[in-house]
Order: sequence, then C-alpha cells, then structure tokens
Amino acid sequence: MKIGTVIGRVTLSRSVETLRGGRFLVVSPFSREQYAAGVDAPAAMGNDPSLVVYDSLGANVRQVIGYEEGREAAQPFDQPTPVDAINAALVDEIFYSPFKK
Amino acid sequence: MLLARVEGNIVATRKHPSLEGWRLVICQPIGASGQPEGAPTVAIDCHGAGMHQEVIISSDGLAARRAVGDDKSPVRWLVVGIVDESEPGKRI
Repeated sequence: MKIGTVIGRVTLSRSVETLRGGRFLVVSPFSREQYAAGVDAPAAMGNDPSLVVYDSLGANVRQVIGYEEGREAAQPFDQPTPVDAINAALVDEIFYSPFKK
Repeated sequence: MLLARVEGNIVATRKHPSLEGWRLVICQPIGASGQPEGAPTVAIDCHGAGMHQEVIISSDGLAARRAVGDDKSPVRWLVVGIVDESEPGKRI
C-alpha cells in the first residue's frame, strides 16, 4: 500500500462495462517529508507523478488514503477488471519517525 | 522482496474488510548500507516488527491474501521476516 492525498476526481462518460458506476480519484503520492508532517498538514503535492485510483470507500478531495497498486488492485472484483490502483483505506492517523543514524 | 526499515504505522478506521485487525507498518526500503531508497510503502505485519527494526517485505499478493484469509483482498505487501544480522556476525 502507498499513501497519497486525494487532489481531484475523475468522471467517465463512457467506460468498460465492469467499471460502470465506479468512482475515480486523482491521487498525489506522499513524499517522505509528507509522511513526517502527518494527515493534518495542509494538503500538498508529492514529488512523484499523480495517478488515478478506483475508489469504493468514498474518499473526498484533500483526504489522505492508502491505495494498492498492481495486479492486486483488481482482486476485489468478481469479473476481470482493468484496474491498476484501488483505494484500500482511509487514513486517520500516521505515526512516522524517520530513522537517523 | 525488499530490505526495509520500519519507520512508523498508520491508523485507518474505514478500510477494506480484509485489513481489519492487521497492523499496518510504514516500511522505508533501504540499501545494503542502510540508506533510504525510494518512497515508503505500507505493509501488513504479523510479526510485531518494532520501530526502526530492519525487515524484509514481499510484494507477493497471493501470499498476502492467504495471510489475511480473503481471496478478494487488494493487499500486496507483507512483512515476511525481521532481520537479525545483515551479514554473518554483524547484528543490527
């Protein structure tokens, strides 16, 4: 699972049959600095490119979510579905302390 | 599988049902000399890995789904072991 901030939504007028009715979020992955700042920090963009995440939990813009990438993202679906990233958790709190030698 | 260091954990109330009851630890992938490499990843943990401990994480989704006991779980990363020695005789 990776963590990211929801920075927008996507709606589709035409889509693959299995994706009908799905919600899609635009998510900016957390940078290391953002992990340290936690979920209550002002919404910011990470360094990595943003991506579209399928959502069945009902996340809102500015919320912090945990999303799963790869083949596993399609696992919750009954039928073969072209999904690459899925929202797996709405993050309430992050406890993070970077290791320093 | 990646060598990683545990740098924290996350709390999520609303999540995929299969993740209920699992510890979610933030794992920072590291190199051979302990320097961070890439962005942190959240993995499920059944070994009770402590803060700043070195662990091995695996991206084997099938094994992770077996661990949580749900074939429809999107879980991918799991802590497969806690590192004692990075090389023979060198304890961490």
